[in-house]
Amino acid sequence: MATPGQGSGTGSQPNRLETGGLVDRSRIVRFTFDGKTYTGHPGDTLASALIANGVSLTGRSFKYHRPRGILSAGSEEPNALVELREGARREPNTRATVAEVFDGLVARSQNRWPSLDFDVMAVNSLLSPIFVAGFYYKTFMWPSALWEKLYEPAIRRAAGLGRASDEADPDTYDKATAFADVLVIGGGTAGLAAALAAARTNARVILVDENATLGGRGVDDGADINGNPAHEWVRTVEAELSSAPNVRILRRTTAFGTYDGGTYGAVERVSDHLAVAAQGVPRQRLWRIVAKETVLASGATERPVVFGGNDRPGVMLAGAVRTYINRFGVLPGRRAVVFTNNDYGASTVAALKRAGAEVVALVDSRAQISDEVKRIASEAGARLLLGAVVTGTLGKKRVTGVTIHTRTGEEERLDCDLVAMSGGWNPNIQLTTHLGSKPTWNDKLLCFLPGTLPHGMSLAGAVAGDFTLGKTLVGGTSAGSAAVTAAGYAAVSVPVPKAADESDAVAPLWRVKSPNGKAFVDQQNDVTESDIELAEREGFRAVEHLKRYTTLGMATDQGRTANVNALAIMAEITGRTIPQTGITVARPPYTPVSLGTLAGHHREKHFKPTRLPPSYRWAKENGCVFVETGLWLRPSYFPRPGEKDWLETVKREVTTVRNAVGICDVSTLGKVDLQGADTAAFLDRIYMNGLKTLPIGKCRYGGMLREDGILMDDGTVARLGENHYFITTTTANAVKVVQHMEYCAQWLWPELDVQIVSATEQWAQYAVAGPKSRELLQKIVDPAFDITDAGFPYLGVGEITVCGGIKARLFRLSFSGERAYEIGVPARYGDALMRRLAEAGKEFGACAYGTEALGVMRIEKGHISGPELNGTTTPRDVGLGGMVSTKKDFIGHVLGKRPGLVDPERPALIGFRPLDRSQRLRSGAHFLKRDAQATAENDEGYMTSVAYSPSNGHWVGLGLLKRGPERIGEIVRAYDPVRGGDTLVEVVSPVFVDPEGVRVRG
Amino acid sequence: MANQTLLATSAFLHWKPVKALNFTVEPRETLTMASFAAAKGKKDALAAAIRAAYGADLPKGSGRVEGNGIAFVWAGPDQWLAIAERKDGRDLESELKAALSGIASVVDQSDGRVVVRISGSDARAILAKGIPVDLDARAFKPGNVAITHASHIGVILWQIDDKPTYEVALFRSYVDSFAHWLLDSAAEYGV
Amino acid sequence: MRIACPYCGERSLDEFLYSGDATVKRPDFASPTAANEFVSYTYERSNPPGMHRELWYHSAGCHAWLVVTRGIATHAITSVEVARDVALNEKPATKDSI
Repeated sequence: MATPGQGSGTGSQPNRLETGGLVDRSRIVRFTFDGKTYTGHPGDTLASALIANGVSLTGRSFKYHRPRGILSAGSEEPNALVELREGARREPNTRATVAEVFDGLVARSQNRWPSLDFDVMAVNSLLSPIFVAGFYYKTFMWPSALWEKLYEPAIRRAAGLGRASDEADPDTYDKATAFADVLVIGGGTAGLAAALAAARTNARVILVDENATLGGRGVDDGADINGNPAHEWVRTVEAELSSAPNVRILRRTTAFGTYDGGTYGAVERVSDHLAVAAQGVPRQRLWRIVAKETVLASGATERPVVFGGNDRPGVMLAGAVRTYINRFGVLPGRRAVVFTNNDYGASTVAALKRAGAEVVALVDSRAQISDEVKRIASEAGARLLLGAVVTGTLGKKRVTGVTIHTRTGEEERLDCDLVAMSGGWNPNIQLTTHLGSKPTWNDKLLCFLPGTLPHGMSLAGAVAGDFTLGKTLVGGTSAGSAAVTAAGYAAVSVPVPKAADESDAVAPLWRVKSPNGKAFVDQQNDVTESDIELAEREGFRAVEHLKRYTTLGMATDQGRTANVNALAIMAEITGRTIPQTGITVARPPYTPVSLGTLAGHHREKHFKPTRLPPSYRWAKENGCVFVETGLWLRPSYFPRPGEKDWLETVKREVTTVRNAVGICDVSTLGKVDLQGADTAAFLDRIYMNGLKTLPIGKCRYGGMLREDGILMDDGTVARLGENHYFITTTTANAVKVVQHMEYCAQWLWPELDVQIVSATEQWAQYAVAGPKSRELLQKIVDPAFDITDAGFPYLGVGEITVCGGIKARLFRLSFSGERAYEIGVPARYGDALMRRLAEAGKEFGACAYGTEALGVMRIEKGHISGPELNGTTTPRDVGLGGMVSTKKDFIGHVLGKRPGLVDPERPALIGFRPLDRSQRLRSGAHFLKRDAQATAENDEGYMTSVAYSPSNGHWVGLGLLKRGPERIGEIVRAYDPVRGGDTLVEVVSPVFVDPEGVRVRG
Repeated sequence: MANQTLLATSAFLHWKPVKALNFTVEPRETLTMASFAAAKGKKDALAAAIRAAYGADLPKGSGRVEGNGIAFVWAGPDQWLAIAERKDGRDLESELKAALSGIASVVDQSDGRVVVRISGSDARAILAKGIPVDLDARAFKPGNVAITHASHIGVILWQIDDKPTYEVALFRSYVDSFAHWLLDSAAEYGV
Repeated sequence: MRIACPYCGERSLDEFLYSGDATVKRPDFASPTAANEFVSYTYERSNPPGMHRELWYHSAGCHAWLVVTRGIATHAITSVEVARDVALNEKPATKDSI
């Protein structure tokens, strides 16, 4: 017989049993809880180690700051939430019942001040009338202005459980995808039997279990399998599975969500049981598991009984008591009262007795029980109180006794330091409901069982209502065989392990009427049975309303020990059945998943991939400031020593382009190669303007619409050959345009002969712009190619060579309004070409320019860009109405003619300059008539783009103004309430530089 | 100086050599690549032309074959990526344009895409951290091709041998981000 | 959700883009009632319960447009076809050449 240690061999752990349990007694680990050092053994959870050390008070409750201890031995724990670790690794609200101890672990209790033992906020208990259900909604309602400043901060300070670290998380996280023929969720006896049956066929099997060690309740209950202790069978099966190349066992892994197509989400806590993760090893890994078949063997969670003071430390789930004795070799109390409505009371009595505890009484709410249970109680020397209930608990920070209401109506007090309670079992059905399936109520087992299962899922063990050990082994073996057969493997006959079937008889007991003190339903959210009565009185009878009104079933445990009791009580109050009352729908995740795990390595600057343009390295060497445009990191501007701010730099870059020559990396523009006999016809249907007439060796500006007539993108179309075109898109829409073209080619007009290939990355492409651009290019273009204005006029395109035979493409295009070219070379030469242009450009005073200068110059020229191509504008709105073909079919043709889109009242693109030239403009400002009130009715459009124009010496803007082009010369208000701007601006031509367009042709 | 030739820059400039016990990564630097797509109604003619010129049967679905020093990798419906060593001035764009004139459109991809060779017994576990395709030996074999993504970076992936060795083709501008993901993923395996 | 691309095999949802109703046909722009027909084609959807024929794009895969028949409540997929083949089969023979 095991007895609590009284010194020898267990160090200072007074409640560690002399023998028993699966912890490694040969090694000691030291940890601290609230600053005090304790010892435990590898294999302990923080909860079992605290129990071993006689610590029963672990935290204060959420609203009332009541003393709380350890209720359970698993992930359903509502009470024993602690802060683990320190500094940047400090993590709040961690369940002590699943956290493994390791040497150096630092744990702290939560929600108490100044100390756990003396908590001033416990005064909340005295204020409990105001903390009843709905208190958030009823209190602090008025005046509403105080909510943000006073109420919310005060509530958060008082009620917030743990404290998250405010430092950056130093750990790494990982993600991975795995594929299985059969996924088994749960490594208890049912799951192990299923995995074994599946694995022997050589199918690919993945077994996940949320605990560090396998075995589940079979081990927790200290039962026998094939005549030996269950953990020996578990060890044998685990050894076979571990050595099988077709099996992967993921321990410490919680399957948290079911998704369509046999996909499951799971979190593997790779390093949480270690002080610090090993070099290169993540703290946690997010698994996406895709399985042909899944056996769900997720077990069951025990229900507490709702009676007065059922939250006092020392009141524990009966199954947890057995777990602590059998799995961890610790004794949670010396004098126990077992309170139950089912036959598992007997095994609890037996386990306690075997561990050397005194069992004061077995209090069973049922009037009739089996002779077997009576025999066990009598052998243990426990009083048998049938038809009796526990009404309340005595003691403060630890239970010292209970009050009993006997069958004959008498009150009785019993001394004890442990109450082991069981209200029956709830199968862990959450993963069966994530896709919308409704569970069904079982009147015999008094629990919800899974309803229609997700495709490919089957059940084994307690989740299927098979609560007894023998049945879990039979059900597990057959579920494993059936699943592997469904996955396409010939099943192998596997002998079913033998185990007894204990009695699982149960009778309803949802709450004890007239409790002594508060009777908690949801211990994490401090929801009592009287809160449920109040919710009912106030009309919140539907379970979803009950949840939101009382906060029942929320937070880290998602009400796993609370929900069924709550709705059973609601059913009782409202005179409905439990199925009529219903159940709230479970959504993923089953247990909390940290955001770091969901992010994986996609954090900070690696949140998204970064694309680097060909001139990146050169730009970086030259002090470039970059800007993120989509995934690209583009040169924004190139500050030089002595320049005091970006504006001065940008002015210099613009002036250089306007007076000499500048070079800009435009490789990020989307580039698409189109070939095939019908390419011209195809492009004609995609672009709003006619392209059939485009001669070979020429390019043309083109715009494309969505089918609703709104502008989608613009760019250039170059014709390289009879059936060969090369188009550019904006940087932002490169992917979208290819997708659109493929849609048109594959779905709308599959009869056309056109082949579409993205060539964005093949070419490093630089704009060379300014009056001296041709002279600069002359330095690198091979002499065989004529780039004089006669030989290579505006809008020309040619396949040429540069620098002694490097193939290149030259386009004479201008976004700046100056004489300009775009030169493309294969990307591997991009870096070298940038260096060569910069070097050769020195004699012309050339500089590199970035997107800022590019933007200034396009605004000075009235060219549209992102702010005008904003998904609301038509070609006419932005001054391109004349380009739109009226003859051909193209996407957007018909709907673009709708009256609303051609209404002359629509805001249309025009230019603006401040009346007081010294004032700056702001994009986003709304236009009002000069004397109009600033109301939405008077709104006449808004400023889309602004820039300081070095060429004009003042700010200029583009905007969409009602009948804009007809209003040149008018003064309007540019009203910007967000930034407090209210500027008088003059409506002018949108072309601020070279309105005749002379320079571009040279 | 102006017309001195330009020197090519490696796309892998920021890469460090990766060698672990069971994992190696090796950029393939000197490739010539071209994509080609059958013209309308010319699928059979294209297959015949490739067979005649290179002795290879173009894979109709996802797959990779070799012929005359060229690997033909399926790159989408009726589209392939041809890959060869860029030696002795071999240029697949011009070579294939000549061989497939009138039956397929050919586009140079030598610079647009880069290829990385990943090999070793830890490769599967490492690639599983970003590539959502089943690479188990039962599901994916030498000669198989998958067009997918690696940690949100588009890739064409194929298997070379049973070590296993894979090659991954990706767009050039993503190389550094791809390396970051790959090295992060491999850290657990001693890289 | 997983979609079995006819070219690539079964792939996860994150490789695909959803792109709406595959039963509507783009009207003839020269039709006298084109304005109404295009409005209906672009905007009007009845959203019935049960199975839908939808366009999906294998954006992170082979770039094929697909016609997927899917139950919008159950996400059960009963067929995945190549959109190009569907479109060619449905096109009147006269439109096969331009």
